[in-house]
Amino acid sequence: MRPLDEKETTMVFEKLFKFTGPNLKHLLERPSVEGPDPEPGRYCLRLHKNRVFYASESLVRRATAVSRTRLAGVGTPIGKFTHGGAFHLTVHALDLLAAHARRRIWLKPDTERSFLFGNSVPKSALARITENTKSGDGVVVMSMADVPLGFGVAARGAQDCRKADTNAVVVLHQSDAGEYLRKEEELM
Amino acid sequence: MGKSSKKNKVILAPPLPPEVDDEDIIVSDEDVDFVEENREHVHLITGLNRKALDKVVTRVPDHDEDKVELLYEERERKRRAALALKPKDDDDLEVDPVDALPVKTLQGELLYRTAKRARSEDKAKGAESKSDDKDADAKQSSQKECKGRSNKKEDSKLQNVQRPLEIPKEKLHSVVLEEVKEELSADELFEKKKAQLAELGMAMLEDPESNIRSLNDLLIICNDTDQRVVKLAIMSLLAVFRDIIPSYRIRQLTEKELAVEVSKEVKKTRYYEYTLIRSYKAYLQKLISLEKQPYFYLVAVRCLCSLLDAAPHFNHRESLLASVVKNLSSSNDVARKLCSEAIRSLFRNEGKHRGEATVEAVRLISASVKLNDCQLHPDVIEVCLSLKFDEDLGKDESKEEKLKPKKNKRYQNRDVTKPSEKKKIKKELLSKARQEVHADLRAVSFTLDPKEKKMIQRETLAALFETYFRILKHSMNTSNSRYKATSVFPGGSHPLLAPCLEGLGKFSHLIDLDFMSELIACLKKLSGYTDHQGEIPPDNTLSVSERLQCCIVAFKVWRSNLEALNVDLQDFFVQFYNLILEYRPDRDRGEVLADALKTLLWEGKQQDMLRAAAFIKRLATFALSFGSAEAIAALITLKHLLQKNTKCRNMLENDAGGGSLSSLVAKYDPEAKDPYLSGALATVLWELSLLQKHYDETVSGMASNILSMANLNATQNPVQLSSSNPLEAYKDLSMGRELSKPTHKVSQTLKSKRKRRSKEFVALSPDVLEKADCTVGEDELREKLQNHFVVLRGISENERLRTELNHALSSINMYKEYNKQKKESKKSKKKVAKA
Repeated sequence: MRPLDEKETTMVFEKLFKFTGPNLKHLLERPSVEGPDPEPGRYCLRLHKNRVFYASESLVRRATAVSRTRLAGVGTPIGKFTHGGAFHLTVHALDLLAAHARRRIWLKPDTERSFLFGNSVPKSALARITENTKSGDGVVVMSMADVPLGFGVAARGAQDCRKADTNAVVVLHQSDAGEYLRKEEELM
Repeated sequence: MGKSSKKNKVILAPPLPPEVDDEDIIVSDEDVDFVEENREHVHLITGLNRKALDKVVTRVPDHDEDKVELLYEERERKRRAALALKPKDDDDLEVDPVDALPVKTLQGELLYRTAKRARSEDKAKGAESKSDDKDADAKQSSQKECKGRSNKKEDSKLQNVQRPLEIPKEKLHSVVLEEVKEELSADELFEKKKAQLAELGMAMLEDPESNIRSLNDLLIICNDTDQRVVKLAIMSLLAVFRDIIPSYRIRQLTEKELAVEVSKEVKKTRYYEYTLIRSYKAYLQKLISLEKQPYFYLVAVRCLCSLLDAAPHFNHRESLLASVVKNLSSSNDVARKLCSEAIRSLFRNEGKHRGEATVEAVRLISASVKLNDCQLHPDVIEVCLSLKFDEDLGKDESKEEKLKPKKNKRYQNRDVTKPSEKKKIKKELLSKARQEVHADLRAVSFTLDPKEKKMIQRETLAALFETYFRILKHSMNTSNSRYKATSVFPGGSHPLLAPCLEGLGKFSHLIDLDFMSELIACLKKLSGYTDHQGEIPPDNTLSVSERLQCCIVAFKVWRSNLEALNVDLQDFFVQFYNLILEYRPDRDRGEVLADALKTLLWEGKQQDMLRAAAFIKRLATFALSFGSAEAIAALITLKHLLQKNTKCRNMLENDAGGGSLSSLVAKYDPEAKDPYLSGALATVLWELSLLQKHYDETVSGMASNILSMANLNATQNPVQLSSSNPLEAYKDLSMGRELSKPTHKVSQTLKSKRKRRSKEFVALSPDVLEKADCTVGEDELREKLQNHFVVLRGISENERLRTELNHALSSINMYKEYNKQKKESKKSKKKVAKA
């Protein structure tokens, strides 16, 4: 387990910034509630076995007691570095993203299932979209009851959605809550 | 006159009666009495110009003077011969019993002449006559011109008859006037002019057609030196014009039309219309020039406005409109009000001018906004709110238009395939005739054909939006460059922004979708939203109400245009969430806030749970810190939000914490900029139990009503959705507040106390709060009130002293000036004496 080096940090932040925008600061600066310390610590990112973890400082301090080979993980995993060196967000980061994301879309109730099976979001499934979403922005996909279902990349902006065909893809699928079942082994 | 020469017969004037000495004429007592009684009519007789009369009466149309002379001589000879038969001496022309009788002329005048005298005069006048003729004709010439070629005999006769009458009359008029001027004092002169004006005006109103020329006289009076007279003249002209202006526009006659010979009546009307237009134009010019003088300013503006109101269809509308629009932003309140009323009525009664004036007015407004760089009075733009557009204006017609030509082609093809020439020609003729009939009908009836109407409305709309966008852009640029203009108008450096936003909200359904994204971006910037929340927001010169209005407009625009697609205006919600904190009851407009609550939260279809919770908490805090009107608006919104978001009712429970509900923030952060990060779900709405003890019954009732929702099932919808929206409730209560002002002041002081402490409040428990409220004792209150009144008294005293000081200063100045003048006059006198 080690802190991320500069290059890795840039890659991770760039990915996160797509979703959170300037809220990225809140992501790292929010006071942690874990641990017995009277003064709340901060959160930080750690790399372990090619996975990036998001954990409070007090937790990280305690985790140093565990040997590297024995340590399975610490805090919340948010993504992994592939063999090619690219960084991918995993579905574990969903809660974190949902709280800080700037762009969201809401799905119609009967189309949630399709998205949870790993499909992209067509325009017909779209119930609501945050204004000024542009293509290429990261968006969090929510159900109408405000439960986060997954996230992806907007394929077209809120303006273009009006003119788009009903079958046109609005959000490209990146990750969804269904992966907890489908890719259980891979995720652990 | 030319025509009469065609006839060979020469009609000679009847022989003139012989001259009789005044002494010879016996005047009866009755006659004398009659004359004495009717002094004013006598001037007609005394002013008779014998020469002119002679010239006319004895002249024979279009014959050489010599020839006429011969004819006269012949006649004279005959008469002498006849006389010779009689015993009386003929050479002595003096007494001829027949001639001694007075001759009644065509005007009913009695003339006494000797034949000899007339004859000799006739000779002498041969040379003069032409020049005299010209003078006499000078006035008539204009009449002739407009009448075109009025070469009828009757006409010329008529003129001949009129001329002798007019010359003396006018001369006399001026003479009398001059005399009167010398004699009468200024006041009497004024009275006299007033009477004259009334006379002329009445004559005009009685029979405008025949008295049209007195318009000129009225216009002449407008140039009087006495200002009061000018004022009266303007006003009476206004009354006259309002009455006689026809309901159609008079157009310039074409050359062709002028060339065609027309009947007498048509000529008459043409003359009438020509004079009317000319004098109307002169009147307008006079008004516009008078408008620059401060003394006449209001009168001129009033006249212009009521003219525009009465005759928007008439000629010279452009100059009228231009000056009225210019005065829309005058610094004089009364003038501005008049102008805006006039323009409003112009917009409202489009039937009068078929909408053309509307387009012109809006364009003029747009131009003036551009010219003055948006530094105008808000009334200029507010006027546009009374514009009306058809609902289906926004829809595109292009589809219909596309369909039509296709059909036509098909028909044409069919026609080609069936070459029945006769039928074709017949059809064409028919359609042509129909078109003509339609055109005539349209010209007669004032209604516009829908297509044309749409065209006009579209142009108006384009001009209007151009203005609006210009204002938006301008306020954006200046707020970015931190340019603070010191403007004389209320509303800071962007006086036009508020009415502009209002207008955008009203006409939001007509905005083209292509502008939408730009408009929204613009509004977002204006509302003060920045992407980087950590940074200090840029120095925004807009007030809170203006920023709130930006949010409202953005919502309205989206809602009216994109009903199909549900868009979440998150950024505006964030902005609104922060703006609630910046609201101050006396500085900002409460209605705007209530309106914002209504549009953003009360009418919004769906709310994010987190966001709703954050707003609920903030509104509860807000209700606690401001007056009852604001509180009730906030509480109604709060209740609505709670009803819609059943999960948020957890906040009504008494045990705090447990904020983990899908939120990462464990503790409520009251100062968070983002509603998502405030962690409002982790808190308790303790404010409501405080509000239950509010001094205002409606507020306390509403608070307890909301608290009762906690006991109900989550699925149950407790109370029926309250019928009144925040805005209405706010208006109701603020009205009540106005009525009970004194009690309000006390509460205000209490409120201000609370406000000051409100920051400490948040962390405190309700008990401490209540105690804090109770400690505001009676003594303290009394002291505060005393202080307040002392200050008030001081202010009034100060004002009084100041006016006195001003008065004294001005009198001192006057005295100094007086002394100076005195000295100067003395000096000049001395100089004169020396000289």
